[in-house]
Amino acid sequence: MSKLSRVTLLQALAYRGGLPMVAWLLHRISGLGIVCFVSMHVVAAFFLYAAGGVTGTVANALTDFYESVPMQIFILFAMLYHGINGLRIIILDMWPGLMRYNREAMWVQWALFLPMFLLPAILIILGVKV
Amino acid sequence: MAIYMNALHKTRPGAETPSRLRPGFEMYAWFFTRVTGVLFLLMGAFNLVYANLAGGRGHLDAGAQMRWAFFPISFHVESTSVEVTPNFANPFWQVYSFLLITLAATHGLNGVRVILEDYVRRPLLLVWLRALLVGFWLFVLMAAAYLIWGV
Repeated sequence: MSKLSRVTLLQALAYRGGLPMVAWLLHRISGLGIVCFVSMHVVAAFFLYAAGGVTGTVANALTDFYESVPMQIFILFAMLYHGINGLRIIILDMWPGLMRYNREAMWVQWALFLPMFLLPAILIILGVKV
Repeated sequence: MAIYMNALHKTRPGAETPSRLRPGFEMYAWFFTRVTGVLFLLMGAFNLVYANLAGGRGHLDAGAQMRWAFFPISFHVESTSVEVTPNFANPFWQVYSFLLITLAATHGLNGVRVILEDYVRRPLLLVWLRALLVGFWLFVLMAAAYLIWGV
């Protein structure tokens, strides 16, 4: 169990865990983000088809929220990051000897992630139809 | 940080074995997360390749390709010019997409359980939150079954 109660916010921010800490934090944030998005999507679709007239406004509000441009970009980020980072974690779990190349693996991971994320993100922001 | 402690690393003699290395629920949950994680990537790639071989090429825009890759249900390509039946809506895709959302909901909500167990320090609250997660998991599965077969 974590010892969160003994750590102040300032200490937490000052903790310089470097890339591994960033990866761990982003993995959790993106994982929670995907769970939230998929949950909202299932709930909205269920309400829309199961009880259209009554709950349609709730479903439409949810749909408008997750179809907005910032949410689209967040979902793109979360899916890509969680997938690529998860793959790195699995590979290092299977072959522990590779752990000494963890730092290099993280650079490779960012090199894969950034273009795969930024290119579609820019197209979404510019509203380009592909 | 648990994820960087390795499954196959030898632990010091006398040190307590991490719970996910002992046979039991935690070990199966840990293993399930890895296996389904790889599976999701393979399924996404398969869905993309299939959609383009099965007549989606030139009919599906980038958004529709992405929606279909993440979750192959016929709703996800209905707004496009592709002919939905028979390639994009048949019993194979119904069973496949139900399997996919079952694995995804289990993977995701188990992840939420792990996060909750890291941060929630009151045992009784944790019991209630776990029960809530199981209830929501069942709701997602039933809603998915309804949307896939019932609509």
